[in-house]
Amino acid sequence: MKPFTYVLPQTLAEASAAAKQPDTVLKGAGIDLIDRMKERLQTPAQVVNLLPLHKEMAGIAVAADGSVTIGAGTTLAMLEQHAAFATPALAGLRTAAATTASPQVRNRATVAGNLLQFTRCWYVRSEAFHCLHGGRGPTCLAMTGENRYHAVLGWQDCVRVHPSNLAPALLALDADYTTVLGDKRTTRKLRDLFPADPRAQNPEHTLQQGEIVTSITLPKQPEGTITVYGESREKETFDWATTACAVRLVLAGGTITAADLVLGAVAPVPLPRPQAAKLLVGQKPSSELFAKVAETAYAGASPLTHNAYKLTVGKAVVRDVLERASKGMS
Amino acid sequence: MTVPPDRGVSRRSFLKGSAVVGIATTGLDAAAGAVRPTRPASFGPGQHEIALLVNGSEQKVKVETRTTLLDALRDGLDLTGAKKICDRGSCGGCTVLMDGVAVNACLTLAMDAVGSKLTTVESLTDKDAVHPLVQNFVQCDAMQCGFCTPGMVMSSLACLQKRGKPTVEQMKHDLSGNLCRCGTYGRVMEAIERTAQAGGK
Repeated sequence: MKPFTYVLPQTLAEASAAAKQPDTVLKGAGIDLIDRMKERLQTPAQVVNLLPLHKEMAGIAVAADGSVTIGAGTTLAMLEQHAAFATPALAGLRTAAATTASPQVRNRATVAGNLLQFTRCWYVRSEAFHCLHGGRGPTCLAMTGENRYHAVLGWQDCVRVHPSNLAPALLALDADYTTVLGDKRTTRKLRDLFPADPRAQNPEHTLQQGEIVTSITLPKQPEGTITVYGESREKETFDWATTACAVRLVLAGGTITAADLVLGAVAPVPLPRPQAAKLLVGQKPSSELFAKVAETAYAGASPLTHNAYKLTVGKAVVRDVLERASKGMS
Repeated sequence: MTVPPDRGVSRRSFLKGSAVVGIATTGLDAAAGAVRPTRPASFGPGQHEIALLVNGSEQKVKVETRTTLLDALRDGLDLTGAKKICDRGSCGGCTVLMDGVAVNACLTLAMDAVGSKLTTVESLTDKDAVHPLVQNFVQCDAMQCGFCTPGMVMSSLACLQKRGKPTVEQMKHDLSGNLCRCGTYGRVMEAIERTAQAGGK
């Protein structure tokens, strides 16, 4: 790691002001950041540590109206263990948190850090490779290179995938995120955190310099809501997904009255699939229906040389997640 | 900074000695007094002294802002139980307990550990007195090359402290961040089970 100045702010406003300075990065637990700093992919002059703002930024609160606010500095272990996520409506998020990385990582890694972690593409994460997204070369090397963990959907000039487990689960729950920039507090839809145009030249999130994610809010879920998160991966634990899917179903009298479906690990951003979810609404759960939904979820996919398996496996994950949701098995 | 017991000139102490010479000649910031960074402040990029609460006693150690907790423990405090293997949070060899939960010391900045209660594998032995978990590791032959063992012991300890009498599933869940290339997992779980049965935490 290159030497840097370590800033300990006392308030959010102070943190935001410090983070606006040039060559400065924000740090939660630093699980991903320290990794990249060791690799010298990121060599900031100043690191603003958000951990002292624990009181303002960490913790889980259930409001009187049934919405749940998760502080950005809440650890994945806290999500995994908190009683608020034991309900079927929020079980998908809990599964996503509980299956991320290893216990050691979950004990420190934060919710915002999970959402904002840099892609795991092995070309961009290695200084030796002159790749487009890293600003080190003219082309995406994964597009024609070793791309078995890369995108099959929604890619343009860069085939990285978004690595967050929590993002699909949170998007399926229609989460909002709140940020602070200077003394301005803003709440937006979580999908706005990710670029609408995920080209190589664009950053992986839409935050401005100095803008700090402070919390995530989940709206109250209607009666009969169940969420399920599932993924395929090469190792049972401590691995990133090769494909992931989060679904939210609202069931009333055996009929699906509302549905959301979000794919993870297959595109440069976590990918809501509204066309696929629409097929579920007003229907009774069945294997035939779920097969059709899975096909639609992956409609328009363009696999690369080594990752066509993601279509077969990914559709199976979608079907599995839907089967579990319809049977009330979170 | 505590002075480690004199063990003669080892490769480690030799390297440390030469590192100190290197620092003296490059003229980094003079060390300030031991600090508890709770006030708004900035530190670095040079060296300064912090206080870490390790195994129940406060110990002063000189660090840079970029020093990881693992390096501070191993090189600064001579607590070499936690191992630096992958240095990227992938293997669990550097596992220590921070406020009672297992963390990767290699992915934690030493500065971030100020104010937290740290427990390292060294706390489990005191001269000839050995923690029951360590005893059971020996009795169950839960190690082969032994390199992952300190981390494995700390994750096992966290598992026992959290669960009391963990099931096999819970043990697998709690140990899933520790890699052992010799494949001792089964015997590690046996050691945890024996310790739990005897009521040791």
